[in-house]
Order: sequence, then C-alpha cells, then structure tokens
Amino acid sequence: MIPSTAQVMPRPGKMVSVRDLKFTYEGGVEALRGVNLDIHEGEMLAIVGGNGSGKTTFAKILNGLLRPPSGSVVVDGKNASSMTVAELAKTVGYAFQNPDHQLFSSTVEDEVRFGPRNLGYPEAEVARMAGQAMDAMRLGAIRGLPPLSLRLSDRRRISIASVIAMDPKVLILDEPTTGLDAAETKNLMESVSMLNREGRTIVLITHDMRLVAEYAHRVVVMSNGRVLLDSDVSGAFSDLALLRQSSLEPPPVTLLAHGLSDHGIPKDIISPQELALRLLMLRGERQ
Amino acid sequence: MTVFVDLYTDADTFLHRLDPRVKIVAVVLLSLLALIIGNLVHLLVLLAFVLLLLALGRATLSKTVFALKFVFRIMVMIVVLWPIFDPSGTPVLAELGPVKITEPAIWKGVAMAVRVCCLATVWYILMFTTSQRDLVRGLVKLGLRFDFGLALAIALRFIPTFGVTVESITDAQRARGLELDKGAPLRRSKNYVAVLVPTIVSALRTADMLSLALQSRAYGARPDRTYLRDLKMRWTDALALAVVVTIFAIPAIAKYLLDASL
Amino acid sequence: MRALEFNDVSFTYKGSGSKALEGVSFAVNKGEFITLLGRNGSGKSTICLMSNGLIPHALPGALEGAVRIFGQEVRERSVAEFSKSVGIVFQEPESQLFCMSVEEEVAFGPENLAVPREEIGDRVEWALELVGMKGFNDRSPFSLSGGEKQRVAIAAALSMRPEMLVLDEPAYALDPVGRFELYSVLKELKQKHGMTVVLAERDPEEAVAFSDRLLLLEDGKIAGVGATRNVLRDPQKLSSLGIAPPQLSELAALLNSRLPGESFSFLSVEEAERTLSEDFFAQGRARRA
Repeated sequence: MIPSTAQVMPRPGKMVSVRDLKFTYEGGVEALRGVNLDIHEGEMLAIVGGNGSGKTTFAKILNGLLRPPSGSVVVDGKNASSMTVAELAKTVGYAFQNPDHQLFSSTVEDEVRFGPRNLGYPEAEVARMAGQAMDAMRLGAIRGLPPLSLRLSDRRRISIASVIAMDPKVLILDEPTTGLDAAETKNLMESVSMLNREGRTIVLITHDMRLVAEYAHRVVVMSNGRVLLDSDVSGAFSDLALLRQSSLEPPPVTLLAHGLSDHGIPKDIISPQELALRLLMLRGERQ
Repeated sequence: MTVFVDLYTDADTFLHRLDPRVKIVAVVLLSLLALIIGNLVHLLVLLAFVLLLLALGRATLSKTVFALKFVFRIMVMIVVLWPIFDPSGTPVLAELGPVKITEPAIWKGVAMAVRVCCLATVWYILMFTTSQRDLVRGLVKLGLRFDFGLALAIALRFIPTFGVTVESITDAQRARGLELDKGAPLRRSKNYVAVLVPTIVSALRTADMLSLALQSRAYGARPDRTYLRDLKMRWTDALALAVVVTIFAIPAIAKYLLDASL
Repeated sequence: MRALEFNDVSFTYKGSGSKALEGVSFAVNKGEFITLLGRNGSGKSTICLMSNGLIPHALPGALEGAVRIFGQEVRERSVAEFSKSVGIVFQEPESQLFCMSVEEEVAFGPENLAVPREEIGDRVEWALELVGMKGFNDRSPFSLSGGEKQRVAIAAALSMRPEMLVLDEPAYALDPVGRFELYSVLKELKQKHGMTVVLAERDPEEAVAFSDRLLLLEDGKIAGVGATRNVLRDPQKLSSLGIAPPQLSELAALLNSRLPGESFSFLSVEEAERTLSEDFFAQGRARRA
C-alpha cells in the first residue's frame, strides 16, 4: 500500500510531501479524508482550521505519533511510515500546545537536554545542542531554575527549546500563543521568526488569524479532514465564506475591508495601517 | 489508549428503568447468593437466571464479550488449576508425582468458575443498565454521605479527562525521543518519570481549580441541600425487590436455618 | 449601594514575595459591564477571585484595604454566602465542570442553596436557554466543545440567580467559534438582562463592543480607567501596557491623526462600516462637490 522511499523522493526544496493521506481514529472518527500537501524547505507555513478540522492529526502523523493507514508521507526524502517517532524526532520536532504536558525536570537546562539525550548523543554534544536551543529561545538567564515554577510564557519557551534541542529541520508549533498576552506573543514569535530565518522550516498550527496575518508565508486552510485552500497569506483572507465554513474568523479590519469593498477597498487587507492607507488614498482621489 | 470504558449502554428496558437503589440491593443479594451456594447445579440455575436478566437488559454480545473477556480468562484458569491444587476426594483420575487429579476437584473447579461468572455478570448488568449518575444517586439515597457521593461522581467524571491528559503527555514525551519500553528495567522506570510528573502536576492543578469552582457554587452552604432529581420507588421497583429478596431468602434460610447443604 | 467596591486594596499571596495588587481603588455600579485589561500577571485574576471572596477565604494572603461586595466586607462573609449574589466563571473550561451531566452541573448551585425542587428545574431550563444550551441536559460536560463548556459554566453560575457575574478570561482556550458563542452570550447578558458583569481579558478585540468601561492594569496597579471609547482613543497606551489594541481603534487613531478635525471611534465592524460608508466617503464626495 505504502510506496517505498525510492519511489517518492521529493523534488529538491520539498521538506515534506504528503499524498492522499487518510486517517480514521478508533471509534470511527474520520480525521483526514485525503490530504495532499507539500511543505517547502525554509518556509513558515500556517495550518489553520477550527477544532476537529484535522490539523492536529496531520501534525501528529508528520512526526510519527500516529501511523497513517493509507497515503504516503515523505519527510526530508525519507518515508515517514518506516521510521520510529524517536528517529523522526531528529527531522520533525513537535511542540505541544500545553507546555505543562512536557515539563518534568528540576532545571530548565535538564529539561532542554532531555530530547538530545534520548536520541543518544554524547553528553558534550547534548550540552552543545541544549545550549544552542536555550540561546535561541532566550532562556540563558533562567537555565538553572525549576521550569514548573516559571510563568506560562517561560514554560512555553522551554517546551519549544526542548524540541529544537534535537535540531529538527521542521518545527511544528501547536497553538504556540495560547494564553500569552500581546507582549509575550510578540517576543515568542520574534524568536520563532529568527529560527525560520536561520533556515528552519516552521509549521504553525493555529486558529488565530491575526497571528497568521503577521507571521506566516503561506496558509493552508483545513476543514473536515481536507485541505480547502492552499495559498499565500492575502489569498487566504479574501474568501470570507471559506474561512467561516472552516470555523475561522478573519481579523476585524479584514471584515471591514470586505464590507467596504463596494467603495473600492481590496478584500485582502490584514492590517489597520494598510486599511487606513487605502481609505486615505481613496478619499484623496475623490477630493 | 482509553484506560477505562463506561460500560453503560443507553436503552429503554425494564432493567434500565428500574430504581438504581433496587438494582444495587439486588446485585449485592445475588452476589451473596452466588457465594452461599456451593452446589454446581444450583449455581447453574442461578447463572441461568442471571443470563436471563442479561437478555432482559438487551446486552449486545460484542460489548458483553468485551467487558467479560477478562473474566472468561480467569474462569478457564480456575477450571484448569483447581484440580491440580485440590487433591481431595475420590475417585482419583490421575496421579503425576505429587499432583493428584480427583473427580470431585474437577467439579469443584467448574462450580467455582460458574460462581465467578455469576458474580461478574451480575455486576456487569448493574454497570451497563445504570448510568454512573444514577449509580451515585442510588448510593447517596441508600445512605452514602453526599460528599462521598460527590467525590465518587467527580472521580468518575474525570476519568476520561485524565485519560486524554495522560495520552497527550505520553505523546509529548515521545515527540522528544522518549521510548517508554526501551532499555533495562531501571532505565524504563526512569522513563516513566517523564510521564508521571506532568500527570501529577496536571492532576493537582485540576484539583485546585475544582476546589475553587465547588466553593463558588455554594458547596456545603446548607445542611438541608435539595435535589433536582429524586428517586421514586414505583410498584414495579417494589415488585422487583420482592422477587430478588425471595430468591435470596429461600436458599439462605435453607442453608442457615434448616442447615441444608447446598 | 455599589455592586463592587475596592478601596485602596493591596494583596500579597501567601508564600509570594511581591504584591499581586497594590493600592487598587475602583467601583462597579449595578448594571454596569466593566472589562479589566492587562497583561498576564497584571492582577486581573486576583481582582476576580476577590470579587466573590475566594480571596482571602480559599486563597489566603495579606489583604489590606477594603473590598465590598454589594455592601458586604469581603472578610466578613463566606464564599458560599457571596455565591448567592456573585457568579464566577474561570479560564479553564474542563476543570470547572465536575458533574456527570449538564443538568446536574447547572442544578448544583441552587441545590446547595436548598432552593425548592420545582424552582431548580425552572432555573436550569432558564439558564440553559439563556446560554443557548437548551436540550443538552443529559450530555456529559466532557463531550462538549470548549465554547459549549464555558456556556454551561455561565449557566451554572446564572442558575444561582446572582446579581453580578465575574468572568476571568473565559475565552482563554477557545477557538474562533467558541469565542463567538461566548461573546454572543455576554452581549445578550448585557443588552437584554442588564446583568452587572466584571470581565477580565488579555485581548479586548470582542469585548469592547459591549463594555461600558475599561480598567487598565499594570503590575497590580491601575494604569487607567474610563468609558470604553475614551480609553480606546489612545491605542498606543494599550500597546505600552502589553495589550493588543483592538484593530478598529488603531484604524480610527490612524485616520484621526491624518485628518485633522475628525474624531472617528469604532467599537464594532458594523459601526465602522456604517460610519465609513455613510460619513467618510460621503464627506469626501461633499468636499469634492
């Protein structure tokens, strides 16, 4: 059923290639009903959709936590279905939504070293990898503190650091900003953008369209186990009906732009600055 | 990876409609009966009655097999092992060194297996015809203190939540390269710390929140608490109770007052 | 009598070295909808937990100043007594619902208060209808979506017939559909039932549309308070407090800064759309003519 690695080598630039992926949970819930998707090396891709859209199931298949019964998943040129979760962890890192589901060590440093240690790296290498991850997530100042006593935003950073310590080429972040305030969100996303600029492929799973508007390169809208839309960011905001059908809500300025489209405002506006500029330009033209 | 499955099957049968108090009392009495009776034939009669009840509750075969699979295994073990460890009685059918297989021991083993089957089925009937909510309500009405009933209800309510949490924690650690079943026993038990600590932390947090939620909703405000739903005995409930008490009383009286061997 | 009154209140949680609240004074009038805005750790939750006596009764610490809930000093009554006048809804949907069915959940409060049986039944139906959860009586809370759970939590508070509802970041873990459902209920509580509401929020985007006043918090202190429109006139202030300003306020501020003499203020997309299409473009046309 599942094609061997040799048959489905991705073209260069494709970090993940998924073909006709289906998944049904025990008990009959069809989570994925035939997903085709490529994730390119170095991009920041947002996978959006409401609860039950299949986005989390999809992510769990990418890093091997779930085994697809049909379809092919090729990650970095290798067939994911023939690899264990631990093997895949070197290629696909997955930071869970709730950091408290990961943290158990007595210091931040130990927590971050846990992953590379599990993968069997020598201790010197473990220390180097963990050090880099802590630097990337700006944890240097709190490396000796117990993770569980820290604030949510710190715990989230630690959980992400503990995944990137394994140096995966693809980093999946599941709702990384849940519970964070605006300032914490900005800080975290700056670190994530930096990781991305350094060449890491980022998959952002979220239902926060403002986050998508600000940080993503490409958007995949999932609904009911299928990919409804795969487009650049502005494209994803032009189709209001499609977003609503996928249990998503565009940001207020986008909604307003749609409402004002009869006056000549484009529908793909995603920031107040852009809308203000358009409004002022239109007013200037008319005067 | 669901740790626990609610056995309750929604249906509208005589047994489902029965007052949970009657069902609880009946199950206790029938269990005692299964323990009192030693005679295989009498046990088989009881089993027949219990299976009749099972049919009355419209149990599906697949769910029954699923729920009682474990019990079937124990029954087979009893039938096989009992004669090996019980050398009493004659005639001796086989003798292998210190092991003596006798005919009465074989029958005793079979009787024991039937007894276990009766016990398990009776409790299974209670679980699949009574929602957890009614079960707790029945227990409280039978005299269990309200706070104990509430604690039981909360425990039952949070079992699936807890299952989801453990599953998520296990997945999160596997994503960090943790292989739970790899390595020597010591290494393996260390692996479980990575799952255990977040589980405990999460359970404690939930418990803290629960306590705030309970207090905010006037828990313990008054001793004369009222109840939206009350249990009412109807004549069918009384009749059912009478039938079960009679079924229990006749052999019990025969055994303890008339000293008949059963 | 005010619904809630804080008079120079400071609080330090037991075992903590720093003050969670410092010199906080404000009051909430009956029928008012006030939204507390601030970063994580700014003191929103502490105020919420104090509004029904959980602080200091369940969560002890050093409390200074006076907190009055419908005229009653917080230290002098128990949480159970305050629960008759104040309902509270927490962040986490899953851990505040502890019963095996929605109906039991909503009946739990009135049962504890020994409300007569028939009336509990009426209250349960009323509360479930109000939050749009009619007919969910026998469902297990576990089987509900996040938005549904939070609405059941609101119903469970409303069934005690409180005069004031306190919600501590109720949209915390909700997806867009859940948020929409939740805010629709809050809007209805405000507009149809005139309920006194204290809402704590990190993200004011939806709540500004129906909040009478905003109270800004920073590090346990009040950083600003005022009528919603007035506070939103200065989106930069919100940003400086680590709060994302509503996009529509940012838009209004941008337009106002470029168009001297204009003072746009938008609390909802509908309002912005109406004002802009009627006013903004019309004015442009008028001037051109």
